[in-house]
Amino acid sequence: MHDKKLPRPTTKRDSPNGNAVPLGRSLNSPLPYVDHFGLSPADLRGVLQLALASGGDFAEVFMEYRTYDFINMEEDIIKETAEAVSIGLGVRVIHGDRTGFGYTNDLSLDKVRKAAQTAAAIARSKAAGAPAPVLRDRTRTSSRYIVRRPAHRASLRAKMALVREAYAAAQGFDKRIAKVKAHYSDSLKHICIANSEGLLVRDTRPMVKLVCVAISEKDGKRESGYWGGGGRVGMEYFRDVLTPRRIGEEAAREAVLLLGAANAPAGEMPIVLAPGHSGVLIHEAVGHLLEADFSRKKTSVFWNKMGKRVGSPLVTIYDDPTIPSFRGSYNIDDEGTTPRKTLLIEKGVVRGLLQDKLSSRLMRGRLTGHGRRQDYSCAPIPRMANTYIAAGDDAPEDILRSVKKGFYVASLSGGQVEDSGKFTFSVSLGYLIEDGKLTAPVKQATLIGTNIDILNKIDRVGSDLEFGLQTGTCSKEGQDVPVTDGCPTLRIEKMTVGGTS
Amino acid sequence: MKKEAPALRDLAESLVVFARKCGADEAEVSVSDGYEFNVDVRKGRIETLIEAGSRVCGLRVIKDKKTAFASSSDLDMGTLKRLVRNAVRRAELGNPDEFAGLAPLSKERVDAAALRLYDPAIIALDSKTKIGLALTTERAALCDKRITNSYGATFASNEIRSVLAMTNGFVGEYAQTYCGLGVGLQAGDTDNRVEDSWSSSKRHFKDLESPEAIARKAVERTVRQLKPRKVKTQNVPVIFEPTQTAWLMGFLFGCVTGTAVYQKATFLEGKLGQRIGNRLVTVVDNGLIPGELGSHPFDSDGLPSRRTVVVERGVLKNYLCNHYAARKLRLESTGNADGNGVGPNNFYLEPGTVTPKDIVAGTKKGLILIRTLGHGLNSVTGDISRGAFGLWVEDGEIAYPVSEVTISGNLGKILEGIEAVGNDLEFHSPVTGPTVKVAEMTVAGE
Repeated sequence: MHDKKLPRPTTKRDSPNGNAVPLGRSLNSPLPYVDHFGLSPADLRGVLQLALASGGDFAEVFMEYRTYDFINMEEDIIKETAEAVSIGLGVRVIHGDRTGFGYTNDLSLDKVRKAAQTAAAIARSKAAGAPAPVLRDRTRTSSRYIVRRPAHRASLRAKMALVREAYAAAQGFDKRIAKVKAHYSDSLKHICIANSEGLLVRDTRPMVKLVCVAISEKDGKRESGYWGGGGRVGMEYFRDVLTPRRIGEEAAREAVLLLGAANAPAGEMPIVLAPGHSGVLIHEAVGHLLEADFSRKKTSVFWNKMGKRVGSPLVTIYDDPTIPSFRGSYNIDDEGTTPRKTLLIEKGVVRGLLQDKLSSRLMRGRLTGHGRRQDYSCAPIPRMANTYIAAGDDAPEDILRSVKKGFYVASLSGGQVEDSGKFTFSVSLGYLIEDGKLTAPVKQATLIGTNIDILNKIDRVGSDLEFGLQTGTCSKEGQDVPVTDGCPTLRIEKMTVGGTS
Repeated sequence: MKKEAPALRDLAESLVVFARKCGADEAEVSVSDGYEFNVDVRKGRIETLIEAGSRVCGLRVIKDKKTAFASSSDLDMGTLKRLVRNAVRRAELGNPDEFAGLAPLSKERVDAAALRLYDPAIIALDSKTKIGLALTTERAALCDKRITNSYGATFASNEIRSVLAMTNGFVGEYAQTYCGLGVGLQAGDTDNRVEDSWSSSKRHFKDLESPEAIARKAVERTVRQLKPRKVKTQNVPVIFEPTQTAWLMGFLFGCVTGTAVYQKATFLEGKLGQRIGNRLVTVVDNGLIPGELGSHPFDSDGLPSRRTVVVERGVLKNYLCNHYAARKLRLESTGNADGNGVGPNNFYLEPGTVTPKDIVAGTKKGLILIRTLGHGLNSVTGDISRGAFGLWVEDGEIAYPVSEVTISGNLGKILEGIEAVGNDLEFHSPVTGPTVKVAEMTVAGE
């Protein structure tokens, strides 16, 4: 099963500065790369050679140095701060469909060589592999991370000010706000990848996140609201794109709204999804099961559906790791491949898979740049980046008006899918639709369906594509990676809502 | 690894001294050194083989009642000293917190050896044996013709040595091992797939279930879901299998931590001493059960593990606290400090006397919950809504499998509505429980 745990993201329909699709494909100069590994190209070539000593087909060294800053405010005080440093190196050897992997966080050459020998042991032939070629540096000279004021150079005081601002905005929003928590974090990852194809490539990846949780209370009843933002951006984001004040207010707004919310209905009914984070539906229903490893192993219901119709002709889905500054974006994937926007479903027909090196080698598929790993201690696997359903032609208000009685999904808190195509997503705030209008707010419910069935039941697609909050994390095989999802307003003819009334 | 142990202790102690020198009023340093082996096999071949060692150091400093944390996987002394200096400086920028501070040194000590956390037999296993266990497990499962695909089998083992040193004079260290073996399967054709898995995780190799037993359970759990139906929306009794009681207990754990209580993030805030469930409900957190996965000699505050009754015959007796949450709530720490938060030791629902079979036999109509999909748990309200897979019960017998439905309810009402507790408690994971029958939940389907 594959998880998406969003810490309760929300999307408001009328958000004035909601995350519209960036039109420009602007590129920035990259953040400076600082080498923390002390391994020369000649050393790396030697390590690759050693990794291939038992006859592997492919060897790779992945090096990572990451710094992380964290601030936690609760109970009206900056309660604690944290700093973390992690360094490590993973060596991978592929031999046919087998992978050997060793890692170390001691980067002395003898420990690195030991990791290479561990990985090499997967191939057991007596003959050594081909000699590792001379490494050629392919590091890009431009970056998709648009950063003007890098977080790692900003003062702790400036970061604390952001947290305090979000906190105060939530607390001051309404008398019924009983507790507030605000968390800020940023990280900077320097990665360097060398492989036996002669590739040597580096990337310096920033990430910033500010989130707020508000708890409301009235007559002994409590509810919570969540909002946040960030991405591969600099400190200017919190002034230009999403202010800490708005993060605090939106968290509080949801918490207060839920105090008056009714229990969700139970049973099958028409569904309208708000634009933005309803993209979780696409992430679960489609994205995971088009990750190439599940097709290669034939566990995914989609494995034999390439070129076949699996959904309504209104449905076109992409995964695009190249959107500037998004949380799920990257200049190179964790195997050094330059990513490209990948068409997954075209007008209801399966057109593509998300590939990593292992699956593309075995399936003879084209690399798409979706080989990702949580960190140096994990082998890469095919993952989503920024997944979305393309805009359609319908005006969002017409879609809502078309439903006599149904359920409107306003904000979501994550979802999960299994390879059969059964998937769920959890609504943290919904509304009843009566005669084409939103009426009573409704609280928490999980929706369940089977992907091909639901894709066929998507019968209206809005023109209002938006992306959800830049705070989402996706889990697969124990590895967490940052992702973003998006979708326009959608109507599903009917789906099971797991309420109680 | 053993020969490096004194070095870990020296490192922790010297950093504590250094932190004091840098101006920290109090400091705590933990260092752990781990070794990991993991093999995934699928369709009779090795898919991935991982072997590695890694170390990590964590520290907490307190200055003028202000707290800062740091951690590093780079154990270079220069890096660590820089992190200590930064932490002291960062602490100065925070706000004073009257409850900040390390736990006092406890006179009590738990004998780590008596807890049987370390099994030399796991260390002695060679790679070939470990790979062989995974291969045997998968092969046994694939013998069953109803199984149509495999997620593969995994054998994993870990050895971790941990040291904790604090300015209050506490120094503790212990070693622990872990091994796990499991397999995941599919049955049915591509468009009608069902899946499930079974695994066994233990601290001692001899306690691990056999490859054949694991394969048999994984096969049974998978094929029983074939040809499912979707039921009509209705309120019915729900029988939680032990794997499902485990997540229910995990959710309850999140609702009884001192942290959640002072943050008002749990519906059980203010309920200490009150009845929150019926008399069949007794929930215990016990860090002292020899050989179990959730046992430890001391927690990350350096306080000794203990046994805490959380719910006694329906009455909420204790919140589970680290030192910080306890001070804030004017309670006593229960030895549940886990990093900077509160974590479970062995947290479980006490078993009853009735067999799971009798529970089913005594159910006229209802759903046996066997798997869930999605999160849908809200500790602030206690609300639950999750995707569900199960077996429909009619007249005390299993009638057919059910899928693509949801179950929903509220943890408070579930605890009040528990009608039967099974006698089948096993410690497959640190958070666990036996079969449980809940009087009524909403099953949403057609």
